[in-house]
Amino acid sequence: MLPLALLSAAQGKPMLVELKNGVTFNGHLVDCDNFMNVTLREVYQTSADGERFWKMKEMFIKGNVIKYFRIADAILDQAAEEQEKNRALGRQRGGGRGGRGGGMPGRGGRGGPPRGGQAGRGRGGPGMRGARGGAGAGGPGAGPRQA
Amino acid sequence: MDALIPFTTSGSLVDLVDKKVLVVLRDGRKLTGVLRSYDQFANFLLESTVERLHYKFEYSDVDIGVLLIRGENVVALGEIDLIAEDNLPFVEIPLDEMRDKLAAQEKRRERDNIVKDKVLGSLGFVSDRHEGDAY
Repeated sequence: MLPLALLSAAQGKPMLVELKNGVTFNGHLVDCDNFMNVTLREVYQTSADGERFWKMKEMFIKGNVIKYFRIADAILDQAAEEQEKNRALGRQRGGGRGGRGGGMPGRGGRGGPPRGGQAGRGRGGPGMRGARGGAGAGGPGAGPRQA
Repeated sequence: MDALIPFTTSGSLVDLVDKKVLVVLRDGRKLTGVLRSYDQFANFLLESTVERLHYKFEYSDVDIGVLLIRGENVVALGEIDLIAEDNLPFVEIPLDEMRDKLAAQEKRRERDNIVKDKVLGSLGFVSDRHEGDAY
């Protein structure tokens, strides 16, 4: 599971966000996007020296100022299970309809082994042609999946 | 397999997934944990993370758990040799003892920096922050 996928799977869950300047925020994640911008609810802010505290109802953090997120252990397992379930569901449905990838929008999940890979290496002679065959392998492999 | 993966961030880190790794952050923190995933920005997802504090040949560990690190803050990532790890010449000390020692060290450093700045300032040099020995 990609780091940002975990973040979106952790919506509604409690977490700690530390900024680059050392200020930390404890709260529940409301939403996040691909820039790692996040909104938190019921937030406790702690100053970098750990001596002063503030409480806020809801707040927004721009992604580029974030250093890291601390997330509860259980959420990683939950999110992985959830993803596995969705993937199985997508596989079933994809098979019935005749071949569209995973149920989640945007990502077809992990495809099988890169299909062009072996063929590209076997067929293409040495030199540039072979290299290009290899590089292309990642593309089609990640797209349509074998159900 | 190696021949198929170009040397990119994602290509070179794939071998480290599910391995115990050391991550050094720009603020000087050293974190060890199991690398669960990463992306093109070198954002890392670490599980069972532990922060290790060092003072001379002593250390203490702080449990952190699951950590999602924004790639910008990463200085280095490396796999930990599990055998060599057992033969380190370090001794573990209690955490509060370590915190006291580090606080004292920080105090000394601040004091020294004031003197350093004064001397450098008299020679025409300007320094506005001291982060050179952070990592």
